[in-house]
Amino acid sequence: MILIGIALILLAILGAPLFAVIAAGALIGFAGSDIDLMVVPMEIFRVSEIPVLIAIPLFTFAGYLLGESQAPRRLVRVTNVLLGWMPGGLAVVALFVCALFTAFTGASGVTIIAMGALLFPAIAEAGYSEHFNLGLITTSGSLGLLFAPSLPLILYGIIAEQSVDDLFLAGILPGLLMLVALSLYCMREGGLVRTRVSRQGFDRREAAAALRESIWEIPLPVIVLGGVYSGFFAVSEAAAVTVVYVFIVEVLIYRDIELRRLPGVMRDSMVLVGGILIILGVSLASTNYMIDQQVPMRLFEWVTAHISSKLSFLILLNLFLLALGMMLDIFSALVIVVPLILPVAAGFGIDPIHLGMIFLANMQIGYCTPPVGMNLFIASYRFDKSIVLLYRAALPFLAILLVTVLIITYWPWLSLALVR
Amino acid sequence: MERTASSLVGRLLRATALLEDALLVLILAAMVLLSATQIILRNLFDGAILWADPMLRVAVLWVGMIGAMVATRGDKQISIDVVSRFLPAHWEARARVVTDLFTAAVSSVVAWSAFRLVLDDRAAGVTAIAFVPVWICEAVLPVAFAVIALRYLLFAIKHLKASFADDAELP
Repeated sequence: MILIGIALILLAILGAPLFAVIAAGALIGFAGSDIDLMVVPMEIFRVSEIPVLIAIPLFTFAGYLLGESQAPRRLVRVTNVLLGWMPGGLAVVALFVCALFTAFTGASGVTIIAMGALLFPAIAEAGYSEHFNLGLITTSGSLGLLFAPSLPLILYGIIAEQSVDDLFLAGILPGLLMLVALSLYCMREGGLVRTRVSRQGFDRREAAAALRESIWEIPLPVIVLGGVYSGFFAVSEAAAVTVVYVFIVEVLIYRDIELRRLPGVMRDSMVLVGGILIILGVSLASTNYMIDQQVPMRLFEWVTAHISSKLSFLILLNLFLLALGMMLDIFSALVIVVPLILPVAAGFGIDPIHLGMIFLANMQIGYCTPPVGMNLFIASYRFDKSIVLLYRAALPFLAILLVTVLIITYWPWLSLALVR
Repeated sequence: MERTASSLVGRLLRATALLEDALLVLILAAMVLLSATQIILRNLFDGAILWADPMLRVAVLWVGMIGAMVATRGDKQISIDVVSRFLPAHWEARARVVTDLFTAAVSSVVAWSAFRLVLDDRAAGVTAIAFVPVWICEAVLPVAFAVIALRYLLFAIKHLKASFADDAELP
């Protein structure tokens, strides 16, 4: 059994698709226990029995529509007018728009590609160093994971069987902490380069023009977040409203996306959904097998035999999740690891909602951690810079994010204050 | 002879690709319309289409499985690419032959089990939504995994050729 496990891990590291590795684990496990293999497709079919799941294709499609439209350009213009007058204003603008955009599109690299193209030249022109600029754009690509309606939040709710509404609330303070900490750094950097930067004043006419241009998009976060947070919409309803609203605004009103391009955008967005759902499906089967074999129980016994305090468990959890975030994308990590660590964490008295925040915050850092964080490769490809340069550029931002992750981990109040 | 056979395969592949894309777009459009209609009915008329919610849930499975077929077509399944990034091209191709064959084998077993599941449920004759029997909802599983298995088999052949090719021919 151990040999098979090692072989599967080797195959995964060699680049075998994760759904196949997980499915193989489930098939071999069930076959070994003399259970009919029909149980595997039966478990995959359970994907059609989870009501919240419909939010995933709908939000993904809406995110792709936003990414293909001119919404990023308008968003940058509006935010720049509103925040650009502060020291480090443009850098802070970048953080806020990237966070908002990632929350709506999921951290799939869309932010770096769509937003980076706009922000990178603007920040460079304002006089910031290339180093700072690259680090900022790279780390911003996964900022916003903790804000509604991000897909990883929804997926965690589904897997951990927690209310997605609660998770949306819980993410607000930890997400803001990350945003504020990075903003302070940007303002300091902005202060340093001020001699070189001609800071722009607040231009009332430009503000009015920018607001008028985005008049149709500004209500979107209000409708979606307001609707969900006030309890007016269920999450799946919010997803449907978002799709319809975004479609009407981007395709019919602004006409940013021609109708003949629409099928292509729909297909591309569903390719991402397919990649996630097939992993979710097979992992329902492998999780079923592991629970059948009492793996989480045994893991808990093993962990408690070696670790006695909640504090040392949290430290180990942080290290483990950081390493995991470097290897696996957030969706695979969620479906594979959450069912295993959830009971263990519960045994140490960690609230499942708080665990979700710890998990996602760690994974967010993993996206930009050398040597294999995905954001680094996307940015390296997008801006045609060497990956080693990006490693160094991302470091100060990573250090700040690491501090915030530690605060999120060891101060549960931050995650739970708005929920309980 | 070989030429006509391969052009037939090529035509078949292109036809499947078109069918998959069309299905994806149609199902997604239907999902958006149906869920929007549900919200309007619920909030304005205090009513609902009874079969809409279960239908939407099955649509999620279908759109996911067909999406996974299309992801395979473009070789975009989620995987860890730490090692392959640093391997020389020949060795990368050789590693791919192994992982491709593995994936094809696993997908075939799932496809076969799903096929038996569909036959079982068809014999049992259980209805899922309104008048739609369960086995029709499940039918996407064997088809999707069979197509995925086939595509990985084709990838394996492609990478086997690449692993023996001259350096000059490699990209």
